Amino acid sequence: MKLANRLSRCIAVALCLYGVGGAARAETLKVYWNAGHAYQAYADVIKKFEADHPGWTVEWGRFQWPDLRTKLVADLSVGNAPDLVAEPGGWVPEFGLQGMITPLNDFVAKDGKEMGYPQDWQDFSVERNTIDGKYYGIQLHLTCAALVYNVDMLKEAGFDKPPANWQEFREVAIATSKRGRFGFAPNQVATYYTPWIYQNGGALYDAAVKKVAFDSPQSAQAIQFVADLIHKDKAAPLPVAGADYEGPQKLFTAGRAAMILTGPWDVSPIKTGNPKLNWDVAPSLTEKQQATMAGGVSLFIPKTAKHPAEAWDLLKRFVALDTELAASLPNGMTMPRKSWAADPKVKADPVLGKFSQCLPYAVDSAAKLALTGKNAVVQDLFKTAVQDILYNDRPAQEVLSDYAARANAALANK
Amino acid sequence: MRLPNSRKAREAGFAYIVLLPAIAYFLVYFFYPIVVELWASFFRGQPLIGQSEFAGFDNYRQALMDSRVRAAFGRTVVFATLGTVFTLVPALCLAAILSGPIKAATTIRAIIFFPYIISFVIVALMWKSLLDPYTGILNALLSYLDLPTQNWLSTPSTALPTIVAITVWKDIGYAMLIYIAAIQGIPKDLYEAAEVDGASPAQRFRRITIPLLMPTTLFLAVISTIGHLQDLSAPYLLTGGGPAEATRLYALHVYEAAFLELNIGYASALSFLMFVAILVITFLQFRFLNREVVY
Repeated sequence: MKLANRLSRCIAVALCLYGVGGAARAETLKVYWNAGHAYQAYADVIKKFEADHPGWTVEWGRFQWPDLRTKLVADLSVGNAPDLVAEPGGWVPEFGLQGMITPLNDFVAKDGKEMGYPQDWQDFSVERNTIDGKYYGIQLHLTCAALVYNVDMLKEAGFDKPPANWQEFREVAIATSKRGRFGFAPNQVATYYTPWIYQNGGALYDAAVKKVAFDSPQSAQAIQFVADLIHKDKAAPLPVAGADYEGPQKLFTAGRAAMILTGPWDVSPIKTGNPKLNWDVAPSLTEKQQATMAGGVSLFIPKTAKHPAEAWDLLKRFVALDTELAASLPNGMTMPRKSWAADPKVKADPVLGKFSQCLPYAVDSAAKLALTGKNAVVQDLFKTAVQDILYNDRPAQEVLSDYAARANAALANK
Repeated sequence: MRLPNSRKAREAGFAYIVLLPAIAYFLVYFFYPIVVELWASFFRGQPLIGQSEFAGFDNYRQALMDSRVRAAFGRTVVFATLGTVFTLVPALCLAAILSGPIKAATTIRAIIFFPYIISFVIVALMWKSLLDPYTGILNALLSYLDLPTQNWLSTPSTALPTIVAITVWKDIGYAMLIYIAAIQGIPKDLYEAAEVDGASPAQRFRRITIPLLMPTTLFLAVISTIGHLQDLSAPYLLTGGGPAEATRLYALHVYEAAFLELNIGYASALSFLMFVAILVITFLQFRFLNREVVY
């Protein structure tokens, strides 16, 4: 009996202590971020947020995109959603259509004027995060791919300026290729082939007829052009199969490739990997038109986030102009604010300025496609088609027609 | 001496109480997910995370009719067969050699076993670096020897065999150690008697070692086959399923259906079909390999 009494007192005291502790227990804000974007500027923002919110800790999870997605989907399925998520493009409409994202209109109505949203954001960056008038995400970075070239290699081959169209590009690629070195290093990620398609007047998806357009003659010519650089001209290597997009950057940084197609995300690795490399950024090629692929990270708050208000507060700080400037200048990352693009420091930066010039003609391949809810299926089939052409050296038109039929069947299958 | 029924019951009750944590663990972490997966497989869309609707057997029908699924399954069976055979046969030979009076046998065993304890992420990074067609050591060596260089992981015909070789390199040490333990359990007098009868070392190996190791071979074959059939990390980390789907194994196909396409219901059906396939394959292995087992 005595023992029972003692036990019950102990339990009561423990519960009281737990209650008191619970009241003062620190809150955690879970943020999922890309490992390559863990810039000091963002670490400073988090530090400031924690200082302004005593008792709060930001759990800053940093992952590669595929791992982030896996973790996010797994967490959503067990009701353990993060509070704020960074996404690489295309996820906002995809998850938004599924009702998994908190619409931000109330927040924007309250703070939009002060933070400059949406008027200070490039229009296209607002559009890609908006569904039926609801803001589901806010653009954090806005990027596009340009032609990055080794100045010395081109000079050595007799070219004082970078190529401007496909014919010139092919000539430069062939002329700069020699044993152990390639004129152009293509990427194994299929998205990197979309600029060629856009430049040739093609498209990935035709929203008007709700069918894919990557089997058009223009698209087939574009992919065939790259395949011929590899197999016929021997001016480009077969891209190394894998799950990452760093292969061309590594070859370029090592002085094994004269030209690559990349965006600001590769600026930092090139600078740190080979500080002595003499390289520059050229405008995207013009064939039938000047075009390239658009990309960039957006931030969203999951529907089941436990702390949406605090997540919004942190989001606002991440996308503030000061933060954009602090994150972009040292890392070469381009940003979505118009005021960022107009900033004298950005204009004066040789790399940033050139990368920001391709934003006006950049195309987001996922923008319209994501609204079908079948973006991932179609992109996967497109990836397989491109690989089939490149790795098996099959005729582009034949392969693309085959995969387009499958993609259209998937689009028609509700 | 027979125990009274009340005591038997008490002991059985105590045994169940002791077993309860393990049973609870299996129920929560193994049985419950299987039930949830089975339930999810009858829905279209995103059961568990979003919108979904009842689909009956549509997901199963779609999976069985999908040529990409069939191709991925076929590829996986090839991968599992090659992986299992090329792990077990050399492992048995190595075990037989390293069970004998070899100098530095312990060191050699440790070296061969070492890859097994490394995370596959590290293994993948290491091999990708070694096999890189432009900066890899292996091609540099081939070039030095005036031999043609290879795009090991970027050629559709060599990508899958290369992945098999990497998984074999990683797993062979484990199979070898199990075999060594089993060989050491074979009574020595059997070998002595055979030797007296004039059996050569090769005959002793074929007539004594191999038959008496059949239970071990059965165990390793089953474990290795199941492991290979479920393997996601090798294609995911080494090739992403490429080039041109040459290494898109079944598990990777399921993963992409679930996590990239957010088609959770369909992915659940695919998983359950693989669960059934593994049951059937394991049953067949027991059925046919058990005939050879000498206990």
